[in-house]
Amino acid sequence: MTQASSSSSLLGRLWKTLTSLRLTLVLLILLAVVSLVGTVRPQVFDTLWFLTPLALLFVNLTACLIRGLPQAVRRSLQSLTPEAALELPERARFRWPGNQDPRARVEKALRQELGPVQKSADGDSTFYFWERGRFRPLGPYVVHLALLVILTGALVGRFWGVQGRLTLMEGETAQDFISEEKAIPLGFQAHLDRFQVFYYPDGTPREFRSDLNLTKPGQAPKQAVCRVNEPVTFGDYTLYQSSYGNAVRLEIKDGDKSQTLEAMVGQTVPIPGSQARFRVLEYLPDLVMPGGDQEKRLGPAARIAYGEEGGHPRLVVVLKNRPELADKQPGPHRFFLQGSKPFSVLQVKRDPGVWWVYSGFLLLLPGFYLAFLRPPERCALVLDRNRKGDWEASLLGAAPRSRETFQERLARLQSLLQEGGAA
Amino acid sequence: MIGLSEILGVVMLAYLAAGLLFLAAVLWSSLRLKSLALGVLGGALAAHTVAFFARWTISYGQAALATPPADFWGKVQLAVFQVPLSNFYESLVFFSWCLACLTLIFLHRYAEDFLGVVGGILASLVLAYASMGVDSRIKPLMPALKSNWLLIHVITCFLGYAAFGLAFGAAVLYLVRSLMKRSPSQAAALPLLDRLIYRAAVIGFIFLTLGILTGAVWAETAWGRYWSWDPKETASLITWFIYAALLHARLVQGWQGRPIAWLAVVGFGAVLFTYLGVSFLLPGLHSYLN
Repeated sequence: MTQASSSSSLLGRLWKTLTSLRLTLVLLILLAVVSLVGTVRPQVFDTLWFLTPLALLFVNLTACLIRGLPQAVRRSLQSLTPEAALELPERARFRWPGNQDPRARVEKALRQELGPVQKSADGDSTFYFWERGRFRPLGPYVVHLALLVILTGALVGRFWGVQGRLTLMEGETAQDFISEEKAIPLGFQAHLDRFQVFYYPDGTPREFRSDLNLTKPGQAPKQAVCRVNEPVTFGDYTLYQSSYGNAVRLEIKDGDKSQTLEAMVGQTVPIPGSQARFRVLEYLPDLVMPGGDQEKRLGPAARIAYGEEGGHPRLVVVLKNRPELADKQPGPHRFFLQGSKPFSVLQVKRDPGVWWVYSGFLLLLPGFYLAFLRPPERCALVLDRNRKGDWEASLLGAAPRSRETFQERLARLQSLLQEGGAA
Repeated sequence: MIGLSEILGVVMLAYLAAGLLFLAAVLWSSLRLKSLALGVLGGALAAHTVAFFARWTISYGQAALATPPADFWGKVQLAVFQVPLSNFYESLVFFSWCLACLTLIFLHRYAEDFLGVVGGILASLVLAYASMGVDSRIKPLMPALKSNWLLIHVITCFLGYAAFGLAFGAAVLYLVRSLMKRSPSQAAALPLLDRLIYRAAVIGFIFLTLGILTGAVWAETAWGRYWSWDPKETASLITWFIYAALLHARLVQGWQGRPIAWLAVVGFGAVLFTYLGVSFLLPGLHSYLN
């Protein structure tokens, strides 16, 4: 590809822009700025403000990969040949008297500092060469490929994945779950046998778990325990224990009529046979009131908002242990708190993109290793007799990406070789 | 018996002393002071390590009392869960440890004594912050934190933060010295510092990436979402973008010196925002507020 042909045509110019590092830097900075907004307003990640630079980065990465990968592969496949090694810049020269064959010492020194070296001999003239980090040019491309695989996984998840939540009370069976306010069939039946919360002595939750019974026609039923950090996979979906809440059992009296309803905290429930609805705002297992000398424990309590369609909402506090207070409640309905039980909130998910994402994660590791931890180093030593019959050696080498460490290496090698000469 | 906080108090003073000794060693170019500084830093790091493991043991003991593990593997599992890296105080103590440890490693590889000044003082400041008004009680673990990923996630993240901290220190030194360039000894140190910024940034970048990856895998097993734009996640991504830009500018465009130093300073600002800003200003999974 010549410069003239690539930059003269429109397509060529576009290609040049797409593969330019300037575009990468601009996009990285742009993404950082938009993300900064996103820390306060996460909605921004669903808008074009974020998705456009991300898509451009995807194109930019792909273009750079297409442009540079073939050359990187070619360079990595070329192992160091004696001809190429002879082109390396000279770093040091050594001389030994003709009656001291230095070859054994030289080989020992090279092995000690560099490890196994390649050797080619022709009469008295011997040629040693060594290289490391040949695959370094592939490193950045492996990293970028890994990022593309991760982004692809994210796209696959976005378009072919489903996420939702499933709320289950003990003894309840569900056939579908809620995703974006729509019911989606699970393809199996999930029955919550038991839900437990365990506490530490200080009252904070230690563990919560759902004992699930999962059944599907034509498949062996599965008994599974779903805990935080221990998801359960069945059928097409994976279930994650994400949180829990309380459901409150209330007896509601209207004159002589009495009915018992169960309501989850936060859920709005219509009262059958009337225009009224109520919602349990909060449930406290033990309401503690601060007192003068000692606090007063009032037992289980619930706070309820209640009202008729279009009417004013009323706030009611119900204490389980003080049913007589119900007389003071406003409105025609009287609420009596009978009990409560926790319900389990499960995250339901199917994401075919996760394996792409994980593959990308794994691919990043060799990529980083090659790109950052394996700088290319090439070294050669030419040993020969001069006309007077003395031994002469010339040390050649180059390491464009790690000059300083390479220089230290050469210095060590030099002192090893000179030791050999003095002896 | 001496409490852990007293040991850490001594460690804090020792880090500070080591930093000042390094400074004195530079000012009077004294090798004896330098080896003294190295000894103090190493000794303080050893005491810090002991304090870390002591807290681990105590934390394990408390948890084992509440829920006795059944067999050997149960004990191992509980020990992994109870690693003292689960709240803000513990993270600060570990951050300081990482700073001191990386400083020693870098001092070994690069004979730049100013690094000891920066590393020692930074480690001391972080410990001082931990000892002032941060809740240091050992609290039982909330269910989401009971995971093998906690250990590897926190360790990788904080090694990353610490490496970025050193890159920041080297960058500040670079910028200060490039202002006083007239003296030849100052100018001579610049290429070394430049290389140091780059090396530390590379190490930080690798560890930050590993930290983000392990966090993503953990989030996937805990909540079924490897990425949910939690403020901490977003901030770490911003940090990642900044250091990615630094590495590209350096490796592909061949930038060196001041612009890279400034990027390292900005990047460390992003690290602080990720570590402290997000945890205190914004709600989310990683919030240190209750």
